[in-house]
Amino acid sequence: MSEKQLLKGNIAIAKAALECGCSCYFGYPITPQTEIGEYLSLEMQKRNLAYVCAESEIAAINMALGAASSGAKVMTSSSSCAVALMQEGLSYACSDELPIVLVNVMRAGPGQGYIYPSQGDYNQSTIGGGNGDYQTIVLSPCNVQEVVEMTYKSFYMAQKYRNPVILLVDGLLGQMAEPVNFINNPYEEIDNSSWRLDGAKGRPSREIHSLEPEQNKLNQHILKLSEKYRYIEQNEQDFEEYLCDDADIILTAFGTMARVAKAVCNHFREQGLKYGVFRPKTLYPFPYKRLRELSIKAKLFIDIEMNLGQMLRDIRLGVLSNAQVSFVGKPVGDWLKKEEIISAIENIAKECHASL
Amino acid sequence: MIKNFIISGSGGQGVLSVGSILANIFMLNDLFVSYCPCYGAEMRGGAVNCEINMSDSELLCVQNDKVDFVIALNQTSFDKFISKVKENGTIIVNSSLAKINKTRDDIKYIFAPLTQEAMKLGNIKITNSIALGVLSKILGNFTLDNVKLAYEKILKNKAELIQKNIEAYLVGYNYIQEKDCIQCQ
Repeated sequence: MSEKQLLKGNIAIAKAALECGCSCYFGYPITPQTEIGEYLSLEMQKRNLAYVCAESEIAAINMALGAASSGAKVMTSSSSCAVALMQEGLSYACSDELPIVLVNVMRAGPGQGYIYPSQGDYNQSTIGGGNGDYQTIVLSPCNVQEVVEMTYKSFYMAQKYRNPVILLVDGLLGQMAEPVNFINNPYEEIDNSSWRLDGAKGRPSREIHSLEPEQNKLNQHILKLSEKYRYIEQNEQDFEEYLCDDADIILTAFGTMARVAKAVCNHFREQGLKYGVFRPKTLYPFPYKRLRELSIKAKLFIDIEMNLGQMLRDIRLGVLSNAQVSFVGKPVGDWLKKEEIISAIENIAKECHASL
Repeated sequence: MIKNFIISGSGGQGVLSVGSILANIFMLNDLFVSYCPCYGAEMRGGAVNCEINMSDSELLCVQNDKVDFVIALNQTSFDKFISKVKENGTIIVNSSLAKINKTRDDIKYIFAPLTQEAMKLGNIKITNSIALGVLSKILGNFTLDNVKLAYEKILKNKAELIQKNIEAYLVGYNYIQEKDCIQCQ
């Protein structure tokens, strides 16, 4: 254990990536994540690792595909509108089964939007804009300490499942500094010698490509991928819950918004109302299982997001009982404040409060 | 216990560096802390600010409508952030670059000629550290050792610069002691 350091989220990502043995970084600068590339441009050169400031995000993701094919640990990072450019590459990486870590430090959209923070890429990350039956794993940290832990986990899961992993970070969190305890990477190394393209000397040649003209083979390939996704859904759902055991009303939120939700929950608890907070840590696979269990007892779910209700769809899919589902949100800019959320909830939950 | 702070001024006044030093001091005191610099289309000479939150339990709200303390290093930031001070909160104003003017009677004002004091020390760039000294005196719970450590973390091995900033910090710290200090009881 090293001593605590005050680190910006972006720098924490870069440091943790090096700790994981990331040997290739490809990226193009964009606010609010430019510090990741800035930090790595210096540190990777010192360590004789590959840092490429690509000419575009499309180039960056395709460089990542190439390097990952050779078995290198690869990361690229970008933000919202530029991650949109990478969607084709992600679909290829899923079909090619290539471990790539993509960090998206979100800014405001749609279109060019602006650099204001937002959580508007939930759908882009969990559903995606690429073609075909594919899934990317999506992790969502809520503080800088977790940024470090989830960067480790992203590299591990990418290697373990041979699949792209998106680390989805709020713009606020990328820019914000908090004390971090730089723990050692707890995950084991994954052996990739059975598939990487490292020269066929002394063994039969290998190919990695997504093109498959033969219908049966293509079907089998997609079904095999699908089996992997079902396995991930069964085994990797992760979440945090706060005072949910006896809760009548459960607030749902991801990323840093979940922290504000906890403050709101504390406020209502002080009034004797049984509130709780449920925070998905994996956005894909979404923790439906636990949400279903919670919905047996809870009467009302209020989803809080810095967008206009993207995770809301998953909350509705997860809540199987008669519990109501409601929403508080705002598209971009200054984070929703505790007071704003409280006054919105007082309207939404008036009847429910009266019945408790 | 939660306390929040906004430090504001113009680009080049060391707003973000001193914010980061304040956050480091809280960290060295084993408190939870968050440091959010404004980021955007700010340019050199434009307005800069950062928000620091400190707590003895997990920090849940890192952006707040109102804060306990504001440091305003110039007129623009004084005008902009006066409304952000909580009732009974405190604003520390650099009276070298802002007019002494009290528009609210529900907050405490501390006017100190920070830039002039920095010039007396021969370096206008340490205005920020004088401001930190003033704030520190009001908060009253930092040890000088931790202040030094925080400067060392940010300024690394620039011993001379660290020394100069500590000197400035102490000027600010003692400024409040020496002068009539009714506003900050």
